[in-house]
Amino acid sequence: MTDTPLLGVRGLTVEAGRAEAAPRILDDVSFSLQAKRILGVIGPGGSGKTTLAHALVNWLRPPLEVTSGEIRFRGEDILAMPSDRAARLRGKTIAYVGGDPQGAMNPTMHVGEQIIEKLRAVEPGVSYKEARERAVALLGAVHIPSPEQRFGEYPFQYSGGMMQRAMIVDALIANPELLIADSITQPLDVTVGAQILKLMRELSERFDTAILFISASLPTVADVADEVLVLEGGRVAECAPVDDVISRPRHAATRKLINELPKLWHRDGTTPVAATDKAQTVLSVQNVSRVYPIKNKSGLGKPKLLQAVRDVSFDIHAGENFGVVGESGCGKSTLMRLLTALEKPDTGHIVFDGEDVFGRGRAGTRRFRREVQLVLQDPFGSLPPQSSIGEIISEPLVIHGEGDRRRRRARALDMMGEVGLDKSLYESLPTRLTAGQRQRVNVARAMILEPRLMIMDETLSALDQTEQSRLIDLFERLQAQHGFTYLFISHDIALVRRVCARIAVMYLGEVVELAANERLFFDPGHPYSKALLSAAPTLEDRRYRPEDCLLEGEPPSPIDLPPGCAFASRCPSAHDRCREVNPPPVYRGEHDRAACHLLQPEPVAS
Amino acid sequence: MFLLGFLTRRLAQGVVIVLLVTFLIFTLLRVIPGDPVRLMVGGMAPDTLVEEIAEEMGLRDPIPVQFARYLSGVVQGDLGQSFVRPASGAAVGGAAFDDATRGERAQVLTLITETAPYTIQLALLAMALALVVAVPIGVFAGLSPGRWPDRMALYLGSVFVSVPNFWLGIVLALVFSVQLGWLPAIGYENFAYTILPAIVLAVEIAPFIIRTLSVSVAQVMRESYIAAAAVRGLGQTRIIMAHALKNASVPLLNLLGVQFSLLLGGVLVVEFIFDYPGLGLLTINAVLQRDFPLIQGIAIVTSVAFVMINIFVDLLATMIDPRLEY
Repeated sequence: MTDTPLLGVRGLTVEAGRAEAAPRILDDVSFSLQAKRILGVIGPGGSGKTTLAHALVNWLRPPLEVTSGEIRFRGEDILAMPSDRAARLRGKTIAYVGGDPQGAMNPTMHVGEQIIEKLRAVEPGVSYKEARERAVALLGAVHIPSPEQRFGEYPFQYSGGMMQRAMIVDALIANPELLIADSITQPLDVTVGAQILKLMRELSERFDTAILFISASLPTVADVADEVLVLEGGRVAECAPVDDVISRPRHAATRKLINELPKLWHRDGTTPVAATDKAQTVLSVQNVSRVYPIKNKSGLGKPKLLQAVRDVSFDIHAGENFGVVGESGCGKSTLMRLLTALEKPDTGHIVFDGEDVFGRGRAGTRRFRREVQLVLQDPFGSLPPQSSIGEIISEPLVIHGEGDRRRRRARALDMMGEVGLDKSLYESLPTRLTAGQRQRVNVARAMILEPRLMIMDETLSALDQTEQSRLIDLFERLQAQHGFTYLFISHDIALVRRVCARIAVMYLGEVVELAANERLFFDPGHPYSKALLSAAPTLEDRRYRPEDCLLEGEPPSPIDLPPGCAFASRCPSAHDRCREVNPPPVYRGEHDRAACHLLQPEPVAS
Repeated sequence: MFLLGFLTRRLAQGVVIVLLVTFLIFTLLRVIPGDPVRLMVGGMAPDTLVEEIAEEMGLRDPIPVQFARYLSGVVQGDLGQSFVRPASGAAVGGAAFDDATRGERAQVLTLITETAPYTIQLALLAMALALVVAVPIGVFAGLSPGRWPDRMALYLGSVFVSVPNFWLGIVLALVFSVQLGWLPAIGYENFAYTILPAIVLAVEIAPFIIRTLSVSVAQVMRESYIAAAAVRGLGQTRIIMAHALKNASVPLLNLLGVQFSLLLGGVLVVEFIFDYPGLGLLTINAVLQRDFPLIQGIAIVTSVAFVMINIFVDLLATMIDPRLEY
């Protein structure tokens, strides 16, 4: 540590405005980063991580400004430099990749052209031809398939993962000495995020770039970084090598971060167990499919078919927690629309309480909608901002024509009590509620009709760990009191591990595996389940390594599905038959099944 | 491939639109009161003669039959003959039914093709003037939302939009023609006659351009790729010229398409005030004279122009923003 570090931050303080009482976003932050090293920055939401990243690339927007401290790059204070010199560092020597890859490029220009534009802006001497060669070579280096062709495509033709790779190319093409990576895996699916992490490690070795890696997820940071800096409330809680931080956390904030992490492989007997065979089937999904025609761009010819949900079957038993997991595009949302009777399946039946939901016309559907309630993901968009909380919660009663004004008010107040909302909020607007409180309003609104089945579609995804835990406890209490059956639809494998007794794993519209919690996590039958488990961020010893479970690449498009098994293109153990014949479900025991050619049926245990 | 499909689909839609417009105009003209034959032959003609001429012209046949006959002419490029105007050019309503000066009647198509260039010239000049003034103001306003250029653009726009065009036309004619004698105002002899009406029209269009552009530029400047571009190392000039303006131009393009179609379709008041011999003036006279074939012809031609301009604008927009390929 004798020579000057590549990046030395001393006493950096960022405030929102110059006023006496201005909130401090960053407070006396100091750290240093040596060349070619990776420093992870971690902290809960609102701890100042992104502000730190923006301060380093001179991207603070009013009212935020650096009020004291210095940022020394190679010993020279960036903040004291003439602004044109500081601007020249940006993009050239200090590069930045953010967490919004889809929004980071001009939607109306080819991705490749924009990379060239950037390179030639920061290195004016480079010819177009040379820039193009470098860009194509790097696109190949970040494992973008057929880079020559991808070069001439627009950002909207890239998936999120591909676009993030392109942004990494964009950042690295000028051979920066420091790369600031702010929450780059956050918007991505876990299996794609795992690939990006692997890529970051490769690249930092290959290009000798120092990386400041910012993330809200400790396991993710631990995966890539040499050292970890823990931020809390704008202050540095601790800064130490990764292993020390995890095994010997010194600060309470760090311990809190570690303790809040859900455990995937921890067997402590609290795993939710499936209802017994005698339990009544509440909802039965039978060979349901949903296909959307996609209009041909020119409007001529036959429309293509997007197979959103393909031949899905499962039963949900009374009082049980059933989970549906899968990544974006796997058909979760379409399934939710079908299960709530917002749309009709093209084939198959949805049977509720022994009756086909769509079999008895509008009245039947209406009764069904009463018995099944939905709580959505977005706590902000799902509440009308102009209605009072009491009105929102009692609205379902109005819709179904129940009770008079006084009775409805009493019921709504009851519900608010049950979900832990202060009754004084009855008349106020939802504007000032936190995300957690808003989801409680949503839960109260859903349960006021006393439904049998509650569908939780990513209900907890927008909440932080602490609030998630509180709501899960609430759900359990409500279940014990009212006997609800829950269906959790989620991309979060740790969440379903914690709350669901039986879990269906979806991939490209199909249920590839359906198994009890313990079985799925400790003996997954389908290679995709295993890949999903391997990519889940955790500090525990991994049971499955992503390198062994998943090939480079992304899911094929649901529009032109290849014949055979949908997972074959990413499956390490795929063989010729997998690419020709779609495997039928193989029963492993009485209830668990997985659709894979490699499985042998297991006899039912007697 | 996309282009071919796009054109086929949009042209087919266009044909349907034009057919509908034609049918609507055709039918409406025939159900409203006022017998064109009476106007043609003059008030003094005996009823029997009116009936005779009407029979002869097929005006007593059922409307669908008339429409079919008319349409079969249209597809062969024959928009019919004017009821009123003689081919010689003099536009008079029927004086006496046996007027010897009434010779061969004028072809509608000829009437339109003779006047349309004047209107196109007027529309193009008005559009150009409006763009020259409005684009810099709009862009500047969009780049500094809430500050003085934005406010100035808003005030200017409000003033422009609330000036009545007939008043402005008269005032301009008074000042520049009568008092200063710089520009001619009435009729058409050379290009200079286009300038005053074009200014009036430009003042009418400019506020819409300013508003659209300032809103869309301001919106694009808030996009994350604009902020990201600076962090990626691009200069401010490049960001604005290459990224912001290109993306902000799509809404403007749509507006210009609509405005241009409106200009072609009939700048009735302005052409009337300046006695400018364009389609607008032709339309006014045709309506006053119950000149059914001429009204129909103008309607068809302007609706064709409308459809074509829209196809062109949409095509241009998809070239700028390929996400619009629909």
